[in-house]
Amino acid sequence: MRPFKYTNAKDVSSAIKLATGNPNAKFLAGGTNLLDLMKEDVERPDEVIDITRLGLAQIKTTDAGGISIGGLGRNTDAANHPLIRQHHPVLTQAILAGASGQIRNMATNGGNLLQRTRCPYFYDIAMPCNKREPGSGCGALEGINRMHAIFGWSEKCIAVYPSDMAVALAALDAVVKIKGPNGEERSVAITDFHRLPGDMPEKDTNLSHGELITAIEIPKSNFADHSYYLKVRDRASYAFALVSVAAALELTGNVILQARIAIGGVAHKPWRATKAEQMLVGKEATEANFKLAADAEMADAKPLEHNKFKVELGNRSIVRALQMALDGGKS
Amino acid sequence: MATAALCGHCRWHWMAANPDQIINFMKDKEINIGSPVSRIDGILKVTGKADYSTDHPVKNAAYAVIFKSTIAAGTITNIDSVTAEKSPGVLAVITHKNAPKLNAKGGIRGGAMLQSPEVLFFGQHIGVVVAETFEQARHAADLVKVDYDKKEAKTDFEKLHQNGVKPKDKEDEKRGDVKAALENAEFKVEETYATPIYHHHPLEPHATIAEWQGENLILYNSAQIVNGAQNAAASTFNLKPENVRIVSPYIGGGFGSKGGQWGNLVLAAVAAKMVNRPVKLALTRQQMFNSVGLRQRNYQKVSLAATKDGKLTALAHETATHAAIEDEFVEPCGDCSKIMYDTPNSLITYRVTPMNLILPTYTRGPGKSTGSFALESAMDELAYKLKMDPVEFRLKNEPEKDPSNGKPWSSRKVVECLKEGAKAFGWDNRKMEPMQNIQGNYWVGYGVACGTYPAHQRDSSAIVKLKREGSNVTAIIELAAADLGTGTYTILAQTAADALGLSMNNITVKIGDSDLPPAAGSVGSVGATSYANVVNDVCMKVTDELIARSGKQFFVRPTALQLMISEKVADIQTRADSKPLESAEQYSSHSFNANFAEVWVNQSTGMVRVKRFLAVTGAGKILNPKTARSQIIGGNVWGIGMALTEESVVDPRFGNFVTRSLADYHVPSNLDIGEMEAIFIKEDDKLANKLGVKGLGEVGIVGVSAAVANAVFNATGKRIRELPILPDKLL
Repeated sequence: MRPFKYTNAKDVSSAIKLATGNPNAKFLAGGTNLLDLMKEDVERPDEVIDITRLGLAQIKTTDAGGISIGGLGRNTDAANHPLIRQHHPVLTQAILAGASGQIRNMATNGGNLLQRTRCPYFYDIAMPCNKREPGSGCGALEGINRMHAIFGWSEKCIAVYPSDMAVALAALDAVVKIKGPNGEERSVAITDFHRLPGDMPEKDTNLSHGELITAIEIPKSNFADHSYYLKVRDRASYAFALVSVAAALELTGNVILQARIAIGGVAHKPWRATKAEQMLVGKEATEANFKLAADAEMADAKPLEHNKFKVELGNRSIVRALQMALDGGKS
Repeated sequence: MATAALCGHCRWHWMAANPDQIINFMKDKEINIGSPVSRIDGILKVTGKADYSTDHPVKNAAYAVIFKSTIAAGTITNIDSVTAEKSPGVLAVITHKNAPKLNAKGGIRGGAMLQSPEVLFFGQHIGVVVAETFEQARHAADLVKVDYDKKEAKTDFEKLHQNGVKPKDKEDEKRGDVKAALENAEFKVEETYATPIYHHHPLEPHATIAEWQGENLILYNSAQIVNGAQNAAASTFNLKPENVRIVSPYIGGGFGSKGGQWGNLVLAAVAAKMVNRPVKLALTRQQMFNSVGLRQRNYQKVSLAATKDGKLTALAHETATHAAIEDEFVEPCGDCSKIMYDTPNSLITYRVTPMNLILPTYTRGPGKSTGSFALESAMDELAYKLKMDPVEFRLKNEPEKDPSNGKPWSSRKVVECLKEGAKAFGWDNRKMEPMQNIQGNYWVGYGVACGTYPAHQRDSSAIVKLKREGSNVTAIIELAAADLGTGTYTILAQTAADALGLSMNNITVKIGDSDLPPAAGSVGSVGATSYANVVNDVCMKVTDELIARSGKQFFVRPTALQLMISEKVADIQTRADSKPLESAEQYSSHSFNANFAEVWVNQSTGMVRVKRFLAVTGAGKILNPKTARSQIIGGNVWGIGMALTEESVVDPRFGNFVTRSLADYHVPSNLDIGEMEAIFIKEDDKLANKLGVKGLGEVGIVGVSAAVANAVFNATGKRIRELPILPDKLL
């Protein structure tokens, strides 16, 4: 771990000003990922700006009827908030499927979106990794890549994005509210917030240096009765997803008006299964139709040497998550 | 004065001529032994007052951080430590270029450190930075630049294992003609079972404080074998053992990785010498993967033959494994197969491949936990071929004597374990055919598997010190024993209390210090047996001495407590040096178990959950059913981890572990573990040792992973012969 300066930000504008003034500074919120990476010499900021005293923790309804979740609220609080539990139970399930109780108590909602990949080659500075050290090569491409991407990867990087929360947010069409260096505010759809690796795997998101996530907004929807977050992992808790699926259905009778499917553990970002979604609209909610949709989506997968199982597992998980959503989301 | 004499049939019924001299009738001898006493060190531990290795308050300590090789084979051509040395707070950067010459064969596992530029595995210790603070040392360690002349490394076991050679200490063991029996078999199984590399990962990573006082070296360092650590350190630094003191009162788990001592001890002592200050050195979790041994990857071929009525006619267990380049350690995977079942034809072999990986070492249930996975899976496979209940199949092949040497068992309760376990578990509810028990989206399966581990007593010495103030008598028990967190303190207080007639509250147990009388290690399930016997012996001895000192004769043997008071003795101390019973050699002594698992397998995702697990164990006298249960279910949990979640993965291109944190190396989480039950079969094995104890630290993990894998087969019809059984293997 490198020596660094610790700065305590008083308010949002001074936090942004401090960060803008130092290209090697990092915001510190829950610290559940950044501090680990600093100890392992992966992240090397020369300054951390503590933003835990800025507020931005409220959960409230918006004028448009949606729900706004403060960027610096804790994951646990978001998962357990009555508004979230009532209107977006899939988000509660997703958050509670992630990490451990202790970590969720520390981790913030904005920080969750910004957590970095758990690729072991990224984490070990003795290994090549284009994300950590551009140009050094991808250790995983021809290495142990059981946990890696099957969609949207590049020769430069096959890492997957680890968040569970973001997968549910992607299914819910959430919007990330961002404040910039000159006080300007902008909104980015969650599905555009994270990037595919392409030629710049070192850049995880479309957030620029100095920008701060102030809130995450979830638009009003009618999925509360038929949604489910399914996470498949190597142990029952405290493991990253092999594959996860956030599924949500809006039904009239047994006909699907709207379907939302986002997949985790398969790409450098939460993977919206738009092909599958489109196939389901107007169809009967049956296992056969779920299977057809899953087949169509997974047909585009490009598995690697050790993760071929993710195609079949992804397929089954989509079907299972949709069934669970149809049944009311109770496991 | 009347004369005393032993009565004809029992040493305890002393005769006294004068009834006035009968002080009191002895209470039931076992009051505390056999009681579910909570750990007497529990409060200290949960309040943070138990000092682990680097917790000891040592003044003026500097901090050391190790740095490691980033290649698996080759030679260090240059180490640039200039920047590191100039970094704030740095006191020294120690590498092979400036480290003192040490005795490489002193008994430290992996040899002495920093003796040459040669690199034999990825993550080998190649230097240590010493600084005023831990953070300064850690930062400076990142600044050291190392150049290598890289060689081709042997890191791919899949490609190398067929070139294995016979280990130095393991001859092929043959009985009868396995080949012919297999050729003529009515039913047979010939399959290969693979287990991955597993790591111990004690909660307390390996850590040392080293302090030199002139020629004397004090090491605060967790040690499962206190005297072993003392001897290895002394030999490595060319000191006399009496110049080295090991202080290890509490151990935060070891599981075999603190049985031998590793580089952290050596480097802390080297660093302390070079900076002329006490030095604290603690490994990080990431460093643990290639610093303190591992359980090696094994390919085990098991061949079984049986008659159509289920009588085994042949059992062959052939293991291929790996060891380090310059040092060999092979865990005895065939041990269970030697004694578990009656068969006229038997073959046990090992082949080992040297590889550029850290030296493997003892890991809980060494050989038996992995070996039983292979043997007991094969037994299950053969039971299915025979269309026979796997419990019944095992009962049919129960050996009357130890098949490997013809000795009678000192005790063996496998039949009871199986029968009582089957009853308690509801084995009758099992459907023999797979995929018949469906609950919602889950397949449910039951599995059974047996296990065993040898029971031995080892030489140990102990001192008891009795002191009386008024009518209050207290005792101090001293021996260089180890408590891994398993309850040694507690069972010794229980044993001493009963032997002296004292309350447990009046007993102080002092262990974990090489200044105390030498004792066996807490390894190989010898700890409880060896320690409890010597403590019982020394308490009996001090009682004998008090009786002799009184000059009286007693009809009933009085306790030390009674004698201290009646004879107004202010203090007395004595020492006993105990050895195993000579007659124990005539018997084959082992603990045995039967394990029962119920698993639920998600039909969609392949995720396995162990809903219920029952271990039924025959392990001699149970000194403390509470700590015994904890030991057993602890072993069971690790066995479930072996079966379902744990795996250390090497990238053969680099020779490194890609699973190098506890986020990647998956020990079971609470949610992975269902209902755990432990039953002990009543046993009191006085043929094994005087107290009748057999030990159960190791046996708790043996047979567990096979029970789970067999249950997975019963649930799904899928026979997984390569652990761990991850979801993708069941899709």
